[in-house]
Amino acid sequence: MQPELSIETRFGSYPADHGSVVTVADGLPGFECCRRFVVVTGPTLQPFNCLQGLDESRPSFLTLDPRSAVAGYAMELPAADRERLEVVDGDALLWLALVRLDGDRILVNLRAPVVINARRMIGVQLITPESPYSTEHVLSLD
Amino acid sequence: MLVFTRKLNEAIIIGDGIEIRVLRVGDGSVRIGVTAPGDVKVHRQEIYQLISAANASAATTEHATVERAAERLRSRLSITNAG
Repeated sequence: MQPELSIETRFGSYPADHGSVVTVADGLPGFECCRRFVVVTGPTLQPFNCLQGLDESRPSFLTLDPRSAVAGYAMELPAADRERLEVVDGDALLWLALVRLDGDRILVNLRAPVVINARRMIGVQLITPESPYSTEHVLSLD
Repeated sequence: MLVFTRKLNEAIIIGDGIEIRVLRVGDGSVRIGVTAPGDVKVHRQEIYQLISAANASAATTEHATVERAAERLRSRLSITNAG
């Protein structure tokens, strides 16, 4: 049993296991120098997760699984990203759409989700030339 | 900045295995072919900047607003599950 880490985020401290560090080889656009992340959550944060950077400015991103947020969400994993993630059949992929809160509005970036291969602990942010999805999808709470 | 003049079908080579070739020259636009190793990401600049800006604004989300949003979302999801 590995000891737990306490991860400081903009949204409070959350536990994470050693070995839960995800590597994003090129970082995220705008945060290229941050290559290591952990995904944490807690009772007051759910169903959100926090994608917490461990390098440089240590950015904290609030995230939501786009498939649970939006019925019928379907974005194909491009072949090049599938290769980067070293995906083999049967791998569990974690989909994290970055969330921005604007007053009462919950804005979800459905266009460029971060996808993580949990088996390999590798992540990428999908950057596709065209997409039917917005970077600021307004989540309906009705 | 290095500046080149290239004719149709001419290319430039960058580093190991990156080739940028002029495929078509049209009225106000140029069609370019990029050949690069699989680990080199190639993006249209405006798309990269769009995602970059979205990431930067997502990173400013304040703690104070998060728990209420999470609570609203949880109550919506429990209604959905119940229904």
